[in-house]
Amino acid sequence: MALRRFTIPVDGTIPIPALLYNYEELLASQDNVGIYDGLQKAPNHQSGTIHVSSHRILFVNSRKPTSQSFSLDLVHVTRTNYYAGLFKSSPKVTLYLDGNFVASSNSGNSVEEGFESWVCEVCDHRNSPGLSPATARICALCGVPRSAIPGSPQPQASILSTSLPVSPACLSASPSVSSRSVTPNPTNGDPTSIACTACTFLNHPHLRICEICSTPLPSATGSTGSNSKSASSSRPASPLQQDSVIDPVNILIKLSFRKGGDKAFYNILRRALKAQAWEGRQIGKGPRSGSSSLGVPTPDGGSIPVPLRRSGIDGIMRNVEASAQSMETDLSDAFKDLEALMVKARDLVHLARELSEKLSAPSNNTTKPPSHSGILSPWTSSSSWDSTSSPTSSSMFATTSFVPFAEPEEAKFIRSSLAQLGLQLSNAPVTADMIQDERKWIEELARELAGVLQGSGDEGPGQKSVGIMKERGIVGLDEIWGGWNRARGVALIPPSTFLQTLQHLPSYTSPPIRKRTFHSGLQVLHTPPYTHAAFAARISGNLMISGVQTTSQIAQEENITISLATEMISAVEADGVICRDDASSAIRGGGSGSGSELIWSLNLFQDYIWDGHTFD
Amino acid sequence: MELTTRTTPSDFLLPSIHSAPPFFTEQPAPSTRTLFIDNWSRLILAYARHRRLFTLRVEDAEVAGGDWDEILRNERINRRVLPSYLSSLIAALVANNVAVYEPAKQTRSVLLFWRLPEEWADVLHSWATASGQLNTILTFYEIIDPPVPSPLSGLPIPLLRRAIAVLTRSGRAQIIGVADGEGVRLFAGTK
Repeated sequence: MALRRFTIPVDGTIPIPALLYNYEELLASQDNVGIYDGLQKAPNHQSGTIHVSSHRILFVNSRKPTSQSFSLDLVHVTRTNYYAGLFKSSPKVTLYLDGNFVASSNSGNSVEEGFESWVCEVCDHRNSPGLSPATARICALCGVPRSAIPGSPQPQASILSTSLPVSPACLSASPSVSSRSVTPNPTNGDPTSIACTACTFLNHPHLRICEICSTPLPSATGSTGSNSKSASSSRPASPLQQDSVIDPVNILIKLSFRKGGDKAFYNILRRALKAQAWEGRQIGKGPRSGSSSLGVPTPDGGSIPVPLRRSGIDGIMRNVEASAQSMETDLSDAFKDLEALMVKARDLVHLARELSEKLSAPSNNTTKPPSHSGILSPWTSSSSWDSTSSPTSSSMFATTSFVPFAEPEEAKFIRSSLAQLGLQLSNAPVTADMIQDERKWIEELARELAGVLQGSGDEGPGQKSVGIMKERGIVGLDEIWGGWNRARGVALIPPSTFLQTLQHLPSYTSPPIRKRTFHSGLQVLHTPPYTHAAFAARISGNLMISGVQTTSQIAQEENITISLATEMISAVEADGVICRDDASSAIRGGGSGSGSELIWSLNLFQDYIWDGHTFD
Repeated sequence: MELTTRTTPSDFLLPSIHSAPPFFTEQPAPSTRTLFIDNWSRLILAYARHRRLFTLRVEDAEVAGGDWDEILRNERINRRVLPSYLSSLIAALVANNVAVYEPAKQTRSVLLFWRLPEEWADVLHSWATASGQLNTILTFYEIIDPPVPSPLSGLPIPLLRRAIAVLTRSGRAQIIGVADGEGVRLFAGTK
């Protein structure tokens, strides 16, 4: 009896998450549960899984999931009781249901409607399925209720009565609005539209305020008026206060937990009932967003909030704004994690440095004393390491330290892990706080940069740090700056300091690496073979032999990028040593526009004497 | 790449630089650019004098088949002067006072001075003297299209005006309005 009246059949073969509505949350599940309808066992529901969500209880029959599964809205549950069980009697949870509930929407039709997408008549928004029957009535974009299906107005009215917001504000407001209502314009051919009292615009019957001037509309037409009345009479503001009218014999459902799990389930159920997620949803839904701030001035001077559906362009704009805002919040939440990570990054680098120190300390002890004015002293670091680590592991390291160049497997692993993380620190980066003197600091930086560029000679065994410019003679400044800072990991060098450092670079590098600025403003570091004079001599020699060369041929020969080659060649061209031949000036083929390439040849015409036609 | 002089079908001796592909590309490097443009100016004026051409247009580089194809295109090395380069060359000619924009207030067509207006003035005066037409009124048409071919045959009117203006300044000519246009009377000269 109670089972048929309050529950809605569902297809139990659908996975539970797919059955839930968008805002619904699955809280707990328990299998091997039987159902009592009233005080009798329900013969068709004796073995199944019970799920409790924030809004509903779902029972999935394990034998006939298709036909004998159901869902029960928690809103109908007024009271619960827990029976711990005795001997062969299983623990049970009794759900007392709201006797005042008028079974109206369990026709099956409404359930189907909730799970299909539909297009709003007003704004053409395609509403996705997966909303509860209550929310599926309203367009998600413009807030206009789904209009009555032609030919079946009766179900629509009953659906409205269940889906109306149950907020107290709504209930208190609707009588006051209807009391001031005027009858609809009798001359109007369309009885459903409502004429605005201020501007006479004929509004859609579901609107509560005028779409043009936002004046509160009289909720006048017969059908909507009766709807609101039926809602207020059939749906009490708080179902939980209606204990007195319950007939406990008929209107209850028992859940019998045959295989335990009862206590945890009952606690969760209690919490879900207490949270009243459906109430919160409905209150938040009725006067959503900014429209709740609109008040209707009552004759006594006060202002009561009107539960307005968002409607019209304003509602659409608000909807879009709200979604944009939520997206922004999500984004900032996502970046918060990143910020936290950045805070941790310093610790990570610190840890990496310590590890690297510990690893290099034993091998340094046996192989050689520190060669340069090192930032880390092996003696101090090894002693600090001794004090922190346990004696057994220190003895393990001590034994390995007698065998030079034989690092333990773990150390190698840590090293390679650090290298993969980009934290390969053969020595810690030079930072400003280590050296007081500004000039000395720059010089130390230049020394460090030289190591990055040409590969430091004194790195530990197993490490093969190849300098950026080991293989290449000319590299863009941006790449070097990025590479250096990546190698440093912490205390990154600003470009201004980087440029200062470059002045000192030639004295720390061999062969000296110098900076060169091209006409376009491109700055590079280069080794002696890539000076202007050397390059010009080389290119002239090549052209002498081969006659003509394209830019890409030269770039390939010099092993530099084409854009870099273009810069260098144009510098030579400016001297007048070579001249260009644009293939786009070909009569046949050659193409035109930017696709064609420049062909370079020696400028053989510097002392050209006219040998053409002469007169006289 | 062999650079040799070559004679065109119109019996014009092309310079060797004309068979160098870079010659047909506008050079950005200032020194090379000046060198090439100077040689182009000389080539254009020499060819114009050879063929008695008086106007050069940017269109000559755009459309093949014109009077200038023999120098603006080189089929042997598959190169031609692009219109943009020809514009630069024309601008250089004007800057060197060996051409003027004709008509004025545009930059796509020039009147070439392979003889300067002063030189044309001398040619005109000596022609008039030699043919015994001093002190008679000559229409422009009679000068540029005489029954007996002369060095002045085919001279454009704007260039003729400039030559006459030079003579007028030195008192050797006078512009006279006649029934069907303008005429000029040349004097013996008072040098």
